[in-house]
Amino acid sequence: MPTTQFDSTLERRESALLGMWAFLATELMFFGPLFFGYVHARIAQPEAFASGSHHMHIVLGTLNTAILLTSSFTMALAVHAAQESRPLRAWLVVTALLGAAFVGIKAYEWVSEFSEAANASGGEARFYFLYYAMTGLHAVHLTIGIAIVGWLAARARRFNAAYHAPVEVTGLYWHFVDVVWVFLYPMFYLLERYR
Amino acid sequence: MSRFVTWLALMGFLAATCASAYIPLGPWNTVINTAISCAKALLIALFFMELRQAGTLLRIAAVAGLLWLALLFGISWSDFATRTISPAPWSVAR
Repeated sequence: MPTTQFDSTLERRESALLGMWAFLATELMFFGPLFFGYVHARIAQPEAFASGSHHMHIVLGTLNTAILLTSSFTMALAVHAAQESRPLRAWLVVTALLGAAFVGIKAYEWVSEFSEAANASGGEARFYFLYYAMTGLHAVHLTIGIAIVGWLAARARRFNAAYHAPVEVTGLYWHFVDVVWVFLYPMFYLLERYR
Repeated sequence: MSRFVTWLALMGFLAATCASAYIPLGPWNTVINTAISCAKALLIALFFMELRQAGTLLRIAAVAGLLWLALLFGISWSDFATRTISPAPWSVAR
């Protein structure tokens, strides 16, 4: 049963998704300037960025990318389960745990890189500044996502084919955060690895 | 099923982008990495974010943000690319 302001349940669903996409557009504006700053700084000092990139943990970074991509897969499965009125709590829990594993590994990386970052100068200092700012902002978003997915998992029984807008909308947010990382990974971890 | 195939493709792209970084290609490394990132983002948007089944309105909303960001990048870049930095007299090193 749609509420009075909508003509149909389909229109109601599309309104929820449209609202989320509009929010994601503002998130893009939020992350965008950092990406622009990165492009500008890297074109100005490519060698400093390459040498800074060599200090990154390539194994942990690649593992983390795989973890986050897999968490998007389990999130998509949770949304799909809700659409078909199947149980979705397990998928939500796995998604939140994978997200938490990502943040845990990232936190370890930050701590282990901190002394080098604090002593860096010139272009490398700029590299580390952008690295901490961009991965930090990303991790804040992911932490919020973990909290929301955990909250959904606690209420998982309420969702079914007729009502699952919160799950779908959270899924869009989760995938957006995943896409941001997809771009951050080669920007910081993969510069001139062949040297 | 399509979700599992998408996940497999994402893992394949991840392996490709990581492996290609160890092949010396100069600026082409960045081109390849960016292209693979865009392909991964497209897969996630189409299959995980379900834009493939979405109506016109949602597709336009999804692209509008990117278009707007591209405009802002273009305008900002035209500024950096065409102006020389002229410091104020009091900030010139003596």
